[in-house]
Amino acid sequence: MMEREQLRKADIFSGAAIVGVGVFIISQAVQMPMKDSWGGVQNVWYVSPALFPLFVGAMLTLLGLLLMKTALKAVGLSGLQEVFSWLAGPQLGQFLKRTQTVRYYGVVVNLFVFVFLLIPRVDFFIAAVFFLIVLFFMYYCGDHQFLIWLLLRVSIGALLLALAVFSGLLDLATNYLRYPLDWLLMGCIATVLYVCRKEHRLNVPVARKFQKSIVIALVAPFLVGVIFKYFLLVPMPKEGLIVQVLDSVWYSGLW
Amino acid sequence: MLVLERIVTFFGIVGSILTDPASLAILFGSVILGILFGAMPGLTSTLGVALLTALTYSMDTPLAMICLLAIYVGGTYGGSYASILVNIPGTAAAAATAMDGYPLACKGEGGRAIGLTTTASAIGTAVSMLFVVSISPIISRFALEFTSFEFFLLAFFGILISGTLTAPDLVIKGWISGFLGLFLACIGRDQLQFFPRFTFGIPELDSGIEVVPVLIGAFGIPQIIEVLREQKAMAKAKELQRIIPEIWTVIRNIPAIVRSALIGVGIGAVPGIGEDIAGWVSYGTAKNTSKHPETFGKGELKGVLASETANNACVGGAMIPLLNLGIPGSPPAAMLLGALMLHGVTPGPMITFEHPNFILEVAAILLLASMAMWVSGMILAKQVVKILKIPTQLFMPIIGVLCIIGSYSLGLNIFNLYLMLPVGIVCYFLTTMGYPIAPLVIGVILGPMADENLRRALMVSQGSFMPIFERPVSLILFIIIVWTVISQFGWYRKGLAKLKKRFVSRMQQRQREGESI
Repeated sequence: MMEREQLRKADIFSGAAIVGVGVFIISQAVQMPMKDSWGGVQNVWYVSPALFPLFVGAMLTLLGLLLMKTALKAVGLSGLQEVFSWLAGPQLGQFLKRTQTVRYYGVVVNLFVFVFLLIPRVDFFIAAVFFLIVLFFMYYCGDHQFLIWLLLRVSIGALLLALAVFSGLLDLATNYLRYPLDWLLMGCIATVLYVCRKEHRLNVPVARKFQKSIVIALVAPFLVGVIFKYFLLVPMPKEGLIVQVLDSVWYSGLW
Repeated sequence: MLVLERIVTFFGIVGSILTDPASLAILFGSVILGILFGAMPGLTSTLGVALLTALTYSMDTPLAMICLLAIYVGGTYGGSYASILVNIPGTAAAAATAMDGYPLACKGEGGRAIGLTTTASAIGTAVSMLFVVSISPIISRFALEFTSFEFFLLAFFGILISGTLTAPDLVIKGWISGFLGLFLACIGRDQLQFFPRFTFGIPELDSGIEVVPVLIGAFGIPQIIEVLREQKAMAKAKELQRIIPEIWTVIRNIPAIVRSALIGVGIGAVPGIGEDIAGWVSYGTAKNTSKHPETFGKGELKGVLASETANNACVGGAMIPLLNLGIPGSPPAAMLLGALMLHGVTPGPMITFEHPNFILEVAAILLLASMAMWVSGMILAKQVVKILKIPTQLFMPIIGVLCIIGSYSLGLNIFNLYLMLPVGIVCYFLTTMGYPIAPLVIGVILGPMADENLRRALMVSQGSFMPIFERPVSLILFIIIVWTVISQFGWYRKGLAKLKKRFVSRMQQRQREGESI
């Protein structure tokens, strides 16, 4: 949590955002049937689907305004001016580049890439291994410079992948190769591993950390995935190359 | 049901769990998993219950309940390990334990402290179990008289009180958080007229938002971001000596234990208030009532005893409103409610009719979980402590994978993930800005209950709010809600202080007049 003074300054904006949410809820709620008929039933105000959202929206607007008032009272207009000059000045740039903020980007970018880009399109096992390797390398093995280096590459890679997906290039590739994204991501994992090994092979403690990370990143998804897929009978979000191999082993009758 | 019959049924359930190897294995396995979860700073019992909800989805309800309650009990206790040995609370529930636990470990009495927390936690859970069994039928019978107005006011009170008591900064933020939860609950087709609200044409939103993935996002994602963002290296754990059960210390402090357990049960029963508040209140009470308050904070066993008894007693306390009113008493209880709904059990006043032995089953599981926790704590403490050596950066990404696959597996819907992640990120920002998450979660859960009951009540009364003032329970709840709100405003406090001052001066004046006569 932030410091008290910072909190009050932030409250002005969060209060305004809450007012915005409240007004938005009200604006949507007034479009719902209040007294007119819906589904052949004549409405009355007290059974209207708008009643509760209107109440929630009004309360949020009121509380947001109250929060803004409290915050403005605490920091005064000079405090508000300070915030605006902070936003317009070089401090904002410094804040966006500071270590903790960059570390935040690292987690969020990886989570977004994993959930929105990889999970629906790539075999779960490969996607999970990639996600774990990147996060382990960023936060456990490497230093801050390495984190930035990897984050940049992951972001660019994700952008290119998104382009390939939305331009239809991926569908084209599917005509020539089964599971093209699975192969591509495995290639990416191999490249990351090769580069990291090359960079850090001389530094024994770091190299040991990399080895440990790789083992855990490979074992954990298989443990989790196998429990969900074969014991809890949960189909994976996307079943590709690895699931097919595992299926053929699991259902081969060798057990 | 006769008391004797209930006792026989209760011990029958205990016996059936004890004689079933699968149940027993799940009980011990989940308790140990809970202890590990609690011991790891950054992982909470709420997250443990959330992740196991996905794993227990395909299990029978009784087995799933054993699993979920055992991890809840184990997780609440497990937090004390890191509190005592590293001075970082494994869970918020064990924050008060660190006050005296760590100084004890510094003195070389870490084993004693852990022995005491183990015994105190087991007693706290067992005492709370007694309350679940004894109070539930009374509340349940009482709640049967409730009409829609009472349920609406109860849900509203739950959100409001949770916002009031859990807000780390301003109380308004707690309330805002609760109303944001209510807004999330509005998404989807409304239950009375089937009108789509806030669905924006997305078919996946028609059935409303899935509660469990949202809860996983709200609790899991901020935790992952926070731990990985911070570069805190964990302090080296203090050496752990032989674990001593400290039974004599416990016997000598029976009144203090009973008091702490009562505090825990009481706070647990208040909607949305977690084990952390129970631990702090109990610790504060122990300090204030002690003959030597100066020893607190310097390694006082009574401090450890107070916080650990209360936080585990809170588990049973949280079950009372959950089972009888359908209102979760704490964040992990909110997760449990989600899990119960997935298993087709709807907690509330009707639970004793729909599932006659369910409350007894819960009580039996709590009792057995407390025993399993005591045995595991005594035997495995030294092994569990080793987990504190694992860097958090290594297990947090794995928790991320578990959150994601867990959210997906509940309904096999990728859309759950698209919902979980943004909710998690919003919750992270809210936490950073001093908004508590518990009221939001309680809002998501109680929203449908509040909405449906408000409209149903108004339908019966033809749009009149007068029944609120005509029914005693409604009126009491209404007065409490109004008082909760106005007591937070400065003008009310000033007015109250002025009244108090005037009253005291008048009394003094009367006294002087009496003396002069």
